[in-house]
Amino acid sequence: MAKAFQVDIVTPEAVIWSGEATMVSARTTEGDIGVLADHEPTMAALATGAVSIHHSDGVTTAGIHGGFLQIYRNQVTLLTDRAELTEGGLEEAREAARALRESSTEAPED
Amino acid sequence: MASAEVRQIRRRIKSVESTMKITRAMELIATARIGRAQVRVAQAKPYTEKMNAVIANIASETGSLSHPLLERRDAKAAGVLVVTSDRGLAGGYNSSVIRIAEAAVRRHQAEGKLVRLYTVGAKAQAYFRYRKYQIDHVWLNVTDTPTYADARSVANILLDEYATERVDAVEAYTTEYVSALTQTAIRWPILPIEPPRVTGDIDASAPVSYTYEPSPEEILGRLLPRYLEGTVFGMLLEASASEHAARRRAMKAATENAEELTRLLTREANQARQAEITTEISEIVGGAEALSGG
Repeated sequence: MAKAFQVDIVTPEAVIWSGEATMVSARTTEGDIGVLADHEPTMAALATGAVSIHHSDGVTTAGIHGGFLQIYRNQVTLLTDRAELTEGGLEEAREAARALRESSTEAPED
Repeated sequence: MASAEVRQIRRRIKSVESTMKITRAMELIATARIGRAQVRVAQAKPYTEKMNAVIANIASETGSLSHPLLERRDAKAAGVLVVTSDRGLAGGYNSSVIRIAEAAVRRHQAEGKLVRLYTVGAKAQAYFRYRKYQIDHVWLNVTDTPTYADARSVANILLDEYATERVDAVEAYTTEYVSALTQTAIRWPILPIEPPRVTGDIDASAPVSYTYEPSPEEILGRLLPRYLEGTVFGMLLEASASEHAARRRAMKAATENAEELTRLLTREANQARQAEITTEISEIVGGAEALSGG
């Protein structure tokens, strides 16, 4: 089995997901990024889109609303202001991300 | 049958008791809310800490941080953000924040600066509007349970005002949650952003060279607005915890006062009743004596 590393999806309201994973793929502003264990230290800006985390129990997907990705000593942190875990795979995660983007571009209430 | 006096006292006891029921209920509600607010403060911590670490990393990578949001400008227009609650019955919670905020507004005006006022909560709005201050932006229904969307709305408007140079600096007047018993009204600088100090999270002896995608400067530019949102969110959560703590204390005091008042009134009612009985007896005795003495 592939080497595992720690992954956290952190939002201001809660830690959405935390656990060991063998692979993470996400979309940065520069393009898609796939992360395996022992990745070099990286800091990237995330685009609004889907993230998938491959771990021993299968694959977890989430839609995220922008943010940052930090990789440091086999510890991957996704910082985002909003994220939503989805059950139905990548397509649904993309849908969730789209919904997050639309809801946040609404006129700010006062 | 009880006399008018006794009846009146009994009526007052009833009214005090029903007030006490309300204050006690509010006390319990506030207690529950403090707990919830504290949990949310704790849940927001990992995000803020990570954010600080990332900024500190970029600072060590680029040598120094440079970004318009970090630069101090000559303050010609000062922004003052006042964070209060929407509802009262929270003791001195609102008045202490408003007091230091108004003092700051006066000070800025005395220095010849233009002051722009932003208020969170109906209490600050009512206070400043009544005194004919011009308020530039108002947020309502926020402090009871602040959401991240509220924080973003506040942060975005302040950023916009700052970017268009309508204000050159923004400071918030809000309440810091020190403990369940102590909440202090404080000044909290917001803009320009003060970069977080490097914390123990980063190993200074072994600097890591990160690969940045895109460049560190660009990441910083995206990061700082988010950082401001996070700061404002933390501030609102603390203000909310403080509000509930202040309300709980005020309601506890009110309940205790009501208990004391009920005790006094009950004693008074008993005395009045006793006095009545004594008068009645002495009347009967007097009447009987008058008859027998004939």
